[in-house]
Order: sequence, then structure tokens, then C-alpha cells
Amino acid sequence: MDGIKTLADLKKKQEEVMSRMSLRDRAENPESLVQVKVAMATCGIASGAKEVMEYFIEELYKRKIDAVVTQTGCMGYCFAEPTVEISLPGREAIVFGYVDTRKADEIIERYIKEGELVDGIIPQNYNTI
Amino acid sequence: MIDLAMHMMDIVQNSLRAGAEKVEIDLIENSRGHTLLFRVKDNGSGMDGETVKRLADPFFTTRTTRKVGLGVPFLKMTCEQTGGRFTAFSEEGKGSVVEAVYRTDHPDCLPLGDTAGYLALLLRANPEIRFRFTCRIDDAEFILDSGELKEQGIDLQHPQMLGAVREYIRENIKEIYRKQPSHGFLCM
Repeated sequence: MDGIKTLADLKKKQEEVMSRMSLRDRAENPESLVQVKVAMATCGIASGAKEVMEYFIEELYKRKIDAVVTQTGCMGYCFAEPTVEISLPGREAIVFGYVDTRKADEIIERYIKEGELVDGIIPQNYNTI
Repeated sequence: MIDLAMHMMDIVQNSLRAGAEKVEIDLIENSRGHTLLFRVKDNGSGMDGETVKRLADPFFTTRTTRKVGLGVPFLKMTCEQTGGRFTAFSEEGKGSVVEAVYRTDHPDCLPLGDTAGYLALLLRANPEIRFRFTCRIDDAEFILDSGELKEQGIDLQHPQMLGAVREYIRENIKEIYRKQPSHGFLCM
């Protein structure tokens, strides 16, 4: 489709997407999904959280991982922005710091898919500024 | 903050934290008066007079995770350095309005930035909130209402729609500038 400019274009795109989506069951229980929260406060925005969030939304879909990607406020780790909190089903949430799109790729491939811990985890007992 | 879109994302986070259900975002340029008004209005919890007074104080925040709050002070700084002004009104229980006026004939005036990208993310990440975005230069305007899009059957939460919504907003903002080629200050 060339260019999306009118509401009709947007609806057409929606129909395309819907037809492809019907194959995939939407999990009803969010607890069973991977949850990705991108910190999107002043510090996160200034460090590039937008690109990281867009990357998670688009890549998790492409790699067929059922996940909820959302934004959250500052968790106090301003020095390590962009930060991302990831909760895998049945596991404690983990916060990763200094996440760029390369780090995000590593997190998806190694932590979300395989459950391996990767560099860049901010321990819970870190003091906030 | 290097562009207005970043300020937009940042200030809207305050509305979200105040429990708003409706958020209105306006970018209104007056090319003859050389002003650009950026406004965020919400129906969140609002603030008392004392809080409004301290809003632009960088050492004031309602958070407990840190001791500084720079979103509003930065916005005030970037508009005032162009010769513009910052204003905030609020009423407890009713909501808040934050306004920043920029002088577009001042070299320090911020560029628009990726408004479409940030807006698409806001719509995607906050399905329960009704956003109304208005971008206007003189008489040309584009209005996006997330409630209306939903009524039209657009699923703003679908990952594949993120890019489409972004493109939709971007094309429409570009169109406004095309209509006002000799005046439009904001550039993409």
C-alpha cells in the first residue's frame, strides 16, 4: 500500500492486519504473557526510550512472542536510562539498564526466549539517586 | 529535551500519573504572531495551589524514587529561552492545563521532532485513555481522536498498527505544512 493518509487508508491497513491476526490466539490471561515496561519519564525520553520501545513492540511481534509492551515512569535509575523492566511468566521482574536496540535484541534472544540472564541487570538493592 | 515531541511525551506522563481519562494535546502555530502554543490538558486529579506554584521547581516531585523532577522545569526553560512563557492551571478533582508558548522567530525555538512516533506510542501504550491531538497552523488543522479511531474499528494496540498510525499522523502533519509553505515554522 502506498502511503497512509486518510482514515480509509488506516482502516484498510487494519483489515489487512486483522485477517493475518485471526490465526493467532490472543492469550486471555496477561499473567501468562511476557511483560515489557519501558521507563518513559524525562530521563528515559532524553536517553532514547522511544526507539527502544518501538523496537520491542515491532520485534516481539515479528519473532512471534506474545508480549505486552507498555510504558512506565521513572524507577529511580536515571543514571542507567533507558531502563526496561521485564517480567517473564512465573518469574520475578528484572530491570535492565543502558538498553539500546542492540541490547534489546540480546534481551529478547537470550533472556525472553531462553531465560538466560544477560549483562546489564540493575540489582533490586541498588540505591536510587 | 531536544524537541517538542519529547516534551509532549514527558508532560503527558504527568497527566497519566494523575489518573486522567482524557488527555488533550495541542500544537497551535500562529505564523503572523510568530508564536507556537504547546498545551496539554487533562481531567486527572488536579493539584492544589501550593503544588501548582512549586511545579517549575526542579527539586519538587511527588515521586519517592528520586528527589528531582525535571519535566516541567525543562519545558519552562525551553519556552522562556525563546522569549515565550509557561503557564499552569489546575483545579483539584477536575484536572490540569499546562501551556508553553514558544517564539518561533527566536533561533532557540525547538524543532517539532517525531511527534507522530511519540503519539503512536502513547496511543498504543494507554488503551484506556482517550487522547485528542490537535495540530494547527493558522487555518489548517489536523485532529486525531483516539476514541473516534476506536469507533472506526482501528485496533491501536496491534503491534502492526503502530507503524501505520505513525505514518497516518506524520502524513497529515506534513499536509498542513504543505498548505502553509511560506509560514510553517515547524519542520519534520
